[in-house]
Amino acid sequence: MSECITKDEFGRMVAGAATEIRTKHVMLSELDCAAGDGDHGATMLRTMEKLEKAFAPGGSDDLKICLKDAGWSVLGVDGGASSSLLGVFFTGMADAVGNDLTEMFEAGLAALQKQTKARPGDKTMMDALVPAINALRSAANGGKSVREALYDAAAAARAGADATRNLQARYGRAKFLGEKTLGHADPGATSISFLFEGFYNGFTSVKGESNNA
Amino acid sequence: MKKFINKPENIVAELLEGFALSHPDRIRLVGNNLVARALPKAKGKVGVVTLGGSGHEPGLSGFVGEGMLDISVPGEIFAAPGAPRCLEAIRLAEYGSGVLFIVLNHAGDVLSSNLTMEMAKREGLNVKMTLTHEDISGGTNPEDRRGLVGFLPVYKVAGAAAEEGQPLNACFEIAERMGRNMRTLAVAVQTATHPSTGQAIFDLPDDEMEIGMGQHGEAGTGRMKLKTADETAEIMLDMLLKDLGVKAGEELLVIVNGAGATTLMELFTLFRRVDQILKAKGIKLVRAKVGEFITTQEQAGFQLMIARMDKELIRLWDAPSNAPYFVVR
Repeated sequence: MSECITKDEFGRMVAGAATEIRTKHVMLSELDCAAGDGDHGATMLRTMEKLEKAFAPGGSDDLKICLKDAGWSVLGVDGGASSSLLGVFFTGMADAVGNDLTEMFEAGLAALQKQTKARPGDKTMMDALVPAINALRSAANGGKSVREALYDAAAAARAGADATRNLQARYGRAKFLGEKTLGHADPGATSISFLFEGFYNGFTSVKGESNNA
Repeated sequence: MKKFINKPENIVAELLEGFALSHPDRIRLVGNNLVARALPKAKGKVGVVTLGGSGHEPGLSGFVGEGMLDISVPGEIFAAPGAPRCLEAIRLAEYGSGVLFIVLNHAGDVLSSNLTMEMAKREGLNVKMTLTHEDISGGTNPEDRRGLVGFLPVYKVAGAAAEEGQPLNACFEIAERMGRNMRTLAVAVQTATHPSTGQAIFDLPDDEMEIGMGQHGEAGTGRMKLKTADETAEIMLDMLLKDLGVKAGEELLVIVNGAGATTLMELFTLFRRVDQILKAKGIKLVRAKVGEFITTQEQAGFQLMIARMDKELIRLWDAPSNAPYFVVR
């Protein structure tokens, strides 16, 4: 997987992610109630609206412009840390357009890591995002297709999000809860796993193609 | 949930509209729902900007006014606004001498403000950011201490300094000095519900209280059986005085801030005990405020804040303000 992704392909990935979040946002808010204020699902819904709008038909055909728009409008969701971090992530990806998909995702992660000290193990979105991007890298290095790489990334994100159940929060508001955060998956990590599941679904949603990797 | 709201997604826009309409002589909404003074500050003075989630009224926009804030950037319910609107506010509050950006230490607010500062620098704007983090329940590391009602004295003294024409560096130093000399502790006895989702933010049995409760209803750390007003005041004040290292003869400002559902009856009862303890220890209570400055819906509980004052801080605290929720004549 060394080919560049097109604007239409990325637009399909975004649409897939939006569908995934729309189906599951209530669960995200419920998870957020365990350690936060219960609005994570609503924030993610607003975030996906902005993302979809940036890729809506009639807009620019330039992936870089679309991602920049997406990043800026997601920053403007006003939904606390989650939307700001995702805004930074898409802005970082925009700066790497022209490289292959893995490199774009890696650039998004690098931009994010400049803004937060959270790392895997802290019970944040990083627990899903970092394994997902590592999986993309392994798939790319192993010569897998974009579709296979996205499948691996979704699986890694899901495993990472599930594993946050056994972690104690060390970042964001939830860190003040300490041990009380054990037993619940992190809502941010869970959102990331939904996004990657949606990226895969969206990428493979072309007519005539099967949804199995 | 029993709340007088319309559509959940319109709460913030509607509350801001109502707030501005109820103080048309002092407040107006500008740009993308930024709360600004009706009459902008004179050219050549430092602008003062803050940001923070909504649902905590009168915090934080209630303190926009002459002598305090120029612009506040309200976010969604309990959620920080993003960097784009903060940047917009800073551009508007630049009157020629730079902008002081006051940020309460909460993950989302800090993230947005760091991004805002990067963008502001790229635009060549002259901005200095000061972080308030005075909640001692966060531990000893300042990064882990949240910004609670201590924003109030920081807005007041820095806002007064800016109003009298002090330069940006001086306003920043005053804000930092106020910040270093204040400590807060919060206690909750009853949860709030999130007005958009209707969900309770935490569970707390009827006969328990929790010291260390956050402003957004983040559950705290020290849960215990409900105590009397006097016992609660004693426990909390003792922790605060120790943490700030207050000695006999020093001068303190005390704020008792109701969380939303705790009555003034209770707040005065608590304050009475605080005053007694300070007198017994020979600590001078030079200024005090009892009321609701930042709330969390119908959460019951309060924040107790103490701050060590000096002559200049007292003078700035006493300076005039016409902010709708902090009028000083």
